[in-house]
Amino acid sequence: MKNIIYSIKKYKFLLYELVARDFKVKYKRSVLGVLWSLLYPVLTMTVMALVFSNMFRVSMPDVNYLVYLMSGLIIFNYYSEASNLAMSSVVGNFSLINKVYIPKYIFPLSKCIFVGINFLLTLIPLYAIILLTGTGVNIHHLLLPFGFICLFMFTVGMGFILATISVFLRDMFYIYGVMITLWMYVTPIMYDFAMIPAKFQLIFKLNPLYWYIYFTRDIILYNQVPNLNVWIYCLGSSLLFLFIGMFIFKKYQDKFIYYV
Amino acid sequence: MDKDIMIKVKDVSMRFNLGIDKGFSLKQGFVNLLDPKMRKKHKEEKKKNDFWALKDVNFNVQKGEVVGFIGSNGAGKSTLLKVVAGVMKPTKGKVEAYGTICPMIELGAGFDMDLTARENIYLNGAVMGYSKQFLDEKFNEIVEFSELKDFLDVPVKNFSSGMIARLAFSVATLVEPEILIVDEILSVGDLAFQAKSEAKMLNMITGGTTVLYVSHSLESIRKLCDKVIWIEHGVIKAIGGKEVCDKYAEYINKNI
Repeated sequence: MKNIIYSIKKYKFLLYELVARDFKVKYKRSVLGVLWSLLYPVLTMTVMALVFSNMFRVSMPDVNYLVYLMSGLIIFNYYSEASNLAMSSVVGNFSLINKVYIPKYIFPLSKCIFVGINFLLTLIPLYAIILLTGTGVNIHHLLLPFGFICLFMFTVGMGFILATISVFLRDMFYIYGVMITLWMYVTPIMYDFAMIPAKFQLIFKLNPLYWYIYFTRDIILYNQVPNLNVWIYCLGSSLLFLFIGMFIFKKYQDKFIYYV
Repeated sequence: MDKDIMIKVKDVSMRFNLGIDKGFSLKQGFVNLLDPKMRKKHKEEKKKNDFWALKDVNFNVQKGEVVGFIGSNGAGKSTLLKVVAGVMKPTKGKVEAYGTICPMIELGAGFDMDLTARENIYLNGAVMGYSKQFLDEKFNEIVEFSELKDFLDVPVKNFSSGMIARLAFSVATLVEPEILIVDEILSVGDLAFQAKSEAKMLNMITGGTTVLYVSHSLESIRKLCDKVIWIEHGVIKAIGGKEVCDKYAEYINKNI
């Protein structure tokens, strides 16, 4: 424990620099720059809204579909992008790992933080839509960070697991690409969860992302404090995956150097 | 006396599996599953691929000592330095190092070609574990030494390789670490900069830091080192003063 604190202290600046690097590189030579972080989710949401509300006639009787869509989308997009980047971060930084001693967990972690900052930027268009559609803001919104922190911990845990697997098994990049597509469809982002046949609902509820989205929508769309069991599912699943991820990563990190 | 020991390398062995790049293939797995004979053969083959880059290496380095490592290519010198630097964990044995280590195993590790020289100084410094405060203080010194003041805000990908090496050298040598690990890089850049960087290296080496130095130039080893370790096929062949260099030269001459 003391070691962990020491290494975090020592490598805090490296973490900061890695996140800053990703930002600088991401928007280099793009005219709109950081504006893309705001624009991109709005545009994807618009496309999805057009497709799903007009062609497939998904309708949400009580709530605004745009807000429903956007809240699910930004959470899923965060997970999808961060976990993908975290997965390739160890393999991608091989030239560093092979030459200097750096705690390796810093690579997946920096990716999750980098995408996390982007995620916070996407809250701006989310709130713009909340206000424009008249959904309104209430005091319960102050609870939202809890859901986001759970989402972050879950993503870091998954990032550790995926980064470890992908070092030993490069096929994982392809497998996970397919998995994430499937995952997107089993997460109620664009459809109503009630549309799922009752016998499948339990399986869908095993998906931690379902609970982070549920927590967020409960507050944003239904103006209510989520039930206690939702809080427990969120925190429990995120801590579980975070610890599994840390355990696996720590166990195998010394072997990375032979495989990357 | 024990207090003055900076690095303790105890029974260090390092195993690589040369067949690792073949990895696990579905076909092999399937064959193994069906045929126990093939399974055994596969296991033996795997063992045959084991390669010991280091075998039971033992030595201590005292404070302020300059230790030179000699040996032919692939003898295990660089692996040993990587183990001491903490980049690799030894398969067996233990390495203890007391003090901050500055590994100059390869310059410019962690440069991002898309970033400017200024940004890379901070990134590379962070990779080596320095704080922002420290880098702020030393920034001018680094820029001055590298003589790249006019190119600070140019992306490194537009630099010539010599310029990159100069920048990397300047960042890498900005501190006087307690333990310096040098793998065959004494001078970089053009003639003028080579002289400058060599002087700086010599300054660092003779300035009282503990140095582990790998080189194929016996001349520079003789000039700089107090202690010479000769490694061949992962085993220490000789350890001692400068006379080890002569033994090594003799051995090479005999084998030509």
